[in-house]
Amino acid sequence: MIELNNIEKYHPAKGIKHYVLRHVSASIASGEFVSVMGPSGAGKSTLLNILGMLEEPTYGTYHFMGEDITSMNERKRIELYRNHIGFVFQAYHLIDEMTVQENIEAPLIYKKIVASERKSRVADLLDRFNMVAKKDLFPSQLSGGQQQLVGIARALVAEPSLILADEPTGNLQSAQAAEIMSLFRKLNREEGITIVQVTHSEKNAQYGNRILTIEDGVVRTDTPVAGQL
Amino acid sequence: MFRLNLKIALRNLWKHKLVTAINIGGLSVALAAFLLITLYVGYETSYDASVPGRERVFQVCRSLPDSKTPYTPAALGQLLKRSLPDIEATGTVKKGGFDFAVTKEDRTYFTTDYTLIDYEGARLFDLKPQGGLKEPENDQTGQFYLSDAAFQLLFPKKRDNAPELVVLGSKSAGFTAPVAGAAHANPHSVLQYDALSVQKQLGSGEGFDSNNYFTYVRVKPGTNKSVLEAEITKLYRSALIGAGADAGSSEVKTAAIILDPLNNLHLKPAYGSDAPYKTVVALLALGMLILVIACINFTNLSIAQAAGRAREVGIRKVMGAARRRLAQQFIAEIFLQCLLAAALGLVMAELLIPRFNSVFQVPLTIRPFENGLLWKFPLIIIFISLAAGAYPAVVLSGFRPAAVLKGNFQTSAETTWLRKGLLVFQFTAAAVFIASLLIVSAQLRYMRTEDKGFRAEQVLAVTNMRIYSDPKKFEPARAQLLGIPGVRNATVATDIPDGSKTGTARYTISGKEIMTGFVNVDFDYFETLSIPIVSGRSFSPAFKTDTADAAILNERAVARFGLTDPVGKLIRGCDKTYRIVGVAKDAKAQGFAQAVEPTIYTMKNTCANPKVRILIKVEASEMLSAIAALRKRWPEINKGDGEFFRYRFLDEIYGRLFHKEEQLQQVFTAAAVLTVLIAMMGLFAYARYLIGSRNKEIAVRKVLGAGSFQLLQLFNAGFLKLVLLANLLAWPLAYLFMQAWLGGFAYRISIPLFPFLAACMLTVFLTLITVSAQAWRAMKASPAGTLKYE
Repeated sequence: MIELNNIEKYHPAKGIKHYVLRHVSASIASGEFVSVMGPSGAGKSTLLNILGMLEEPTYGTYHFMGEDITSMNERKRIELYRNHIGFVFQAYHLIDEMTVQENIEAPLIYKKIVASERKSRVADLLDRFNMVAKKDLFPSQLSGGQQQLVGIARALVAEPSLILADEPTGNLQSAQAAEIMSLFRKLNREEGITIVQVTHSEKNAQYGNRILTIEDGVVRTDTPVAGQL
Repeated sequence: MFRLNLKIALRNLWKHKLVTAINIGGLSVALAAFLLITLYVGYETSYDASVPGRERVFQVCRSLPDSKTPYTPAALGQLLKRSLPDIEATGTVKKGGFDFAVTKEDRTYFTTDYTLIDYEGARLFDLKPQGGLKEPENDQTGQFYLSDAAFQLLFPKKRDNAPELVVLGSKSAGFTAPVAGAAHANPHSVLQYDALSVQKQLGSGEGFDSNNYFTYVRVKPGTNKSVLEAEITKLYRSALIGAGADAGSSEVKTAAIILDPLNNLHLKPAYGSDAPYKTVVALLALGMLILVIACINFTNLSIAQAAGRAREVGIRKVMGAARRRLAQQFIAEIFLQCLLAAALGLVMAELLIPRFNSVFQVPLTIRPFENGLLWKFPLIIIFISLAAGAYPAVVLSGFRPAAVLKGNFQTSAETTWLRKGLLVFQFTAAAVFIASLLIVSAQLRYMRTEDKGFRAEQVLAVTNMRIYSDPKKFEPARAQLLGIPGVRNATVATDIPDGSKTGTARYTISGKEIMTGFVNVDFDYFETLSIPIVSGRSFSPAFKTDTADAAILNERAVARFGLTDPVGKLIRGCDKTYRIVGVAKDAKAQGFAQAVEPTIYTMKNTCANPKVRILIKVEASEMLSAIAALRKRWPEINKGDGEFFRYRFLDEIYGRLFHKEEQLQQVFTAAAVLTVLIAMMGLFAYARYLIGSRNKEIAVRKVLGAGSFQLLQLFNAGFLKLVLLANLLAWPLAYLFMQAWLGGFAYRISIPLFPFLAACMLTVFLTLITVSAQAWRAMKASPAGTLKYE
């Protein structure tokens, strides 16, 4: 599904190239649940942004579902967002002015899905996540865990094949975190959704089936998870 | 989709209630001002719009060597009609030049603007008097009409169109004449009257030397104006020669006719000043400026809010929103605000219109169907939405998700620079208006308090129809006037200090010839007006020859003639030789705009108009009783004038000369208040945003031990620098602007330093208060809360 070939990313600073990523090559197959780990500043988030096409690599090629992303125009990239990729953020990034229901519905509007279909999909997700009673609340009225559930529901509503999660449990306490991670594992196993998450937590990484460790912009290790939780 | 966006827009506006209110409030105030100004400009530029073929109507003016005049001989119009096929119609108008009473039973109306017009002229101006316009049967009888108000006053119960008989002039000396009805004088026309006589022809039998008439022509479509002017000039010159002028004389050679379009007559007549036109243009510029400042504010605030919206933009983009779509959304939001502002602005304009009308003396109304507001206003709203919304929309929709979602987002330095620039611009405008307002006020104060050379207080200017050119005739009237307790002096003259120009003629002293203004006066003229005699003496009955050949010059005339000891010298002019008996102080009888002209005061002058203007100086303490006595005894004091004592206070008449400056002062007050208000609104919201985005910094600094004063200093310093810069820019602008304005005055103040300092202090003070209030709020917050949240 994802083919990274010799990806480099640097910021020019005072004539010196400040490398964030160096010679990163990796491939992620459909249906995998990959955790990217590493110390602060190692380039994890940058890698995820490149995977999510939020940033462009300075050098190297990136194929997504067989298509070369690096030479793709904005319009096609937006098409990919809409149809294949869902994002989950550490700070949830819900739109404050929208209710739970509207937040979940928003991506479908950009996909130009008709109202009746939107309603049924949102209702379905609210039901699945046990949030029907909270559908008319605003994000500020929810707890962090609940906000992240809405964030995941929003990522799922467009039925993506890939979910990119940047420290999805970073702001949550461990009980809530475990809940979210189980949900990811369930989505990965039962619906076959590919998941790439950035995490600091060894424990959370154990929910996936593969761990990429990055240090100083270089992939140090790439190991399968032995006893997946 | 649209509904959802609308909902979000409304929620967003509600969430930032204060900023939204400032945004909408500022824009609506500016829109109201702009609307009023647009209406005013529309009104001022559409005079005589109802005259048929308005673009083809011209006033015929004579071009003199150093000026132009609208006064033409009546014979000219008739000649043009006969000789030139390009001229479709001509009209001749004459101002009556005297006031008279119109009486029906016990009700009396005093005309002030009696006007005569020929039948063809009435048709050219499309006058529609009551009962329809009828052509008079012969040269002697005309149709006499009164203005609506006068007719209503005299015949309150009249319903039919039958002519009525009234008494013209005083009851004792007047005569009876029929009134044909009411003739509405359109206030939106250059042709004004309160009593109108429509005659078959005006000035028949008069020659080319009595220039007492206004001539109007309507030309055929497609006529070349300059060719026609040349043809008329040729005709006019040969007519002058036919009337006996020497073909080689300068009178004929310099004679020329110009055609002044009717469109220009109200604002910039060829023979007069184009100041009204300049005022209209300046007002329009002011309206635009205020609108631009409000738009800038709007843009500024929208960008300032952008940081708050940046995350939303990032999320939407990640969810698959295209940039164009986001831009549309922001424009829609701004359009929504503009719409609200427009509605509010309309309400404000409606509320302000009565006050505006009284300041500018216009009858404006907001009637969308009549003045094209129905299509103009939506256009303005759309234009503002695009002007104020385009930039924020482009900036906001251009955010890169990877950058804004990371959290530590700051709008780029480029927009900060732009916002600072906009703020400086606003404060520059505000400071210019504050300084200008203070300078205009200072000049007005100067004009009110400065020595005018005469004193108008407690002087009554009496409207009088009797001619008193011979001092012997006035003697009994004066004696009776002085018999009334409280009357100190009484005199009669051709001119009073009411701003009008005196007649001028060439006067010679020992070979030196100078164009000199002349005023024909009676005894006590200088005493009544308290004009000091600086050398020699005033006119006095003790000197028998004073009524024949004595003259008093003003200081200006003495200086122009270059005399060191003028008393006793001879001066010649108007076919007469005078002996100078005294020198009077310069009296600024024409106001402060014109320099005092060299003037000769005499008691007998064949060039001068008849002496009819009576001036009476009364003791302040006995003013009421004196006026009552004058009113009662007027018929016996002044038999020729009739039974009606009509007067005005001279200081009131003279005060009207300042009307234009007072108007300007009001405009500047409004402009200063508006620009300051809008600039403060902009500053307030910007400071709020800026300080809001530095909450964390404030908390960290507090934790590090910064005191309140140091923090206030920190925030104020940045804004103060901008405001000081704005003032530095404003000073030369205001200086040049006001220098040009003061250039129009012969007697003026030199620009003081105070207005500039005041503008600076005021803007700085308001900035300090605004910024400190915002900073104070942020500083009071507990640093623990702020830091924990981050």
